[in-house]
Amino acid sequence: MPDFTADVILWKIKRGEKIDRADLRGIQMQKAVLDGASFRRCDFEGANLEGVRLAKANLKNASFREAYLAGADLREANLDNADLEGANLEAAMLAGANLGRANLEGANLSGADLSGARLTHAQLDSANLAGAKLSGAILSHADLVECDLGIAQLDKADLTSANLESANLEEASFVEANLSEADLREVNAKGAKFGGASLHRATLAKGNFTGADLANVDLRGAKLDDAKLDGATLTGAKISGVMASGASFANLRADWADGSPDGNGRNRVTGADVVAATLMGKVTTPVATKRYFGKGDVLRNASLQFDEGASVEIESLFEQCSIALGQGTELVIGAEGTLSGCQITGAGNITIHGKFFERASPGIAGASQLIVTSGGALVGAVEQPEGATRFAFEPGCRLRMKITQKNGKNGRQ
Amino acid sequence: MADPNGGGEKQTYVEEGTQFKGSLTSSCPIVVRGKVEGDLSAPSLTVSPSGAVRGQVKVGEMKSQGELAGEFDADVVQLSGTVKDNTVIRAKSLEVKLQPAEGRMQVIFGECALEVGDMPSKEKEPGTKSGKKKKDEEPGTENPGV
Repeated sequence: MPDFTADVILWKIKRGEKIDRADLRGIQMQKAVLDGASFRRCDFEGANLEGVRLAKANLKNASFREAYLAGADLREANLDNADLEGANLEAAMLAGANLGRANLEGANLSGADLSGARLTHAQLDSANLAGAKLSGAILSHADLVECDLGIAQLDKADLTSANLESANLEEASFVEANLSEADLREVNAKGAKFGGASLHRATLAKGNFTGADLANVDLRGAKLDDAKLDGATLTGAKISGVMASGASFANLRADWADGSPDGNGRNRVTGADVVAATLMGKVTTPVATKRYFGKGDVLRNASLQFDEGASVEIESLFEQCSIALGQGTELVIGAEGTLSGCQITGAGNITIHGKFFERASPGIAGASQLIVTSGGALVGAVEQPEGATRFAFEPGCRLRMKITQKNGKNGRQ
Repeated sequence: MADPNGGGEKQTYVEEGTQFKGSLTSSCPIVVRGKVEGDLSAPSLTVSPSGAVRGQVKVGEMKSQGELAGEFDADVVQLSGTVKDNTVIRAKSLEVKLQPAEGRMQVIFGECALEVGDMPSKEKEPGTKSGKKKKDEEPGTENPGV
């Protein structure tokens, strides 16, 4: 028999009394309004609390083992270290709740709203989180082994060092989530969306990522051994230091990937086959050929050519020089660098922190990208290639610039 | 054309579907969602993605996501959208954000001229890492082709 009847509890709550440490096992309080109440260390094992309203309630260390809480309103409730093993929380509202260190082993949270909830170190192994909303939730160090996260939404969630071993992540969304150092071995992540997520140093070994969207993810230092990435998208992913022996990459979609160790995009690996080979260690990630022209050096009347993939930084004074850039070559004119009476041609990416003054018009021709930062200055004409140049100008930059078009298509009146 | 939403700061709106030809001077910020052709003067100008402004414009601040053609003088400019041929933008400060390689182009520039900030000098200047600035900067002799 519970310590109190439902009527007594409601009467006490109405009087503002706390009901801490009470034995309330098996109590029937469906749809009761208990918002903000305190039930610390209470035992609700096997209770029927369907549709109960417990928003902002203090339920710290309480036990809800095998309790029925479907549709319950637990928004911003404090469930720190609560025991919810085997509880039914189907479609429950838990947005903003604190479930830190809570035991949710085998709990049914399908369709529940846990947006922004705190679940650090929570035990969720074998829990059913299918279709749950976990966007912005904090799940760092949480135990999610063998749990069902099918079609769940975890965009921008923090899953740092979480254990998701053998979990079902099919069609789930982890867009911009942080999965650094998380364990995703043997997961089923078919068709899952990880766009822009961090999987830095994560373990994805033996996982099934068939058709998954891994565009722009940070996979640096991740382990993908024996993983299946057939038909996955990896365009823009950071792949330096990935280990993927025995992994399969059939029909991989990857226009390019970033092979630079610090993920700055300066070392592009182009083409799906090359990306796959690089991941499998059959091709060494090419190290960008870096050229540096230091402060104090003066270069006059020179013609320089930098091939595809090269990275060039100029902190010197260049006078009357011609520079030809290969496809994707990075040219950075440092804050101390000045290119006076010079010309740059080719489909490179140019960043100007210093100064550029043209010799003949156009001073810059065919650049894929041109950035002039806040301290940068550019005097001259820029001829865009057929596909147009991607421009960026930071406030504070100084320009006397004419933009032209090679074939005169853009901006025609 | 005044603020269609009632309260708040008064703004002059040229709504989508509206075409305005002539000279428009306002002491309120101007928001263009339709088309304006002519001279325009105001403390600020916002051109929405559906908006287009063609003519001579003098404003304090300008934010454009629409289509610009003509001569634009402003203190601060934030630019996206399209800049048509034969356009001149003069500003103390210009901001164009970089779009991801695979995204849509932030700005499509036609054949146009940008005059932003003080005239750069080849000499070392104050406020920069590379030197001290002269009080009245010499507009350099270098400006070939612009």
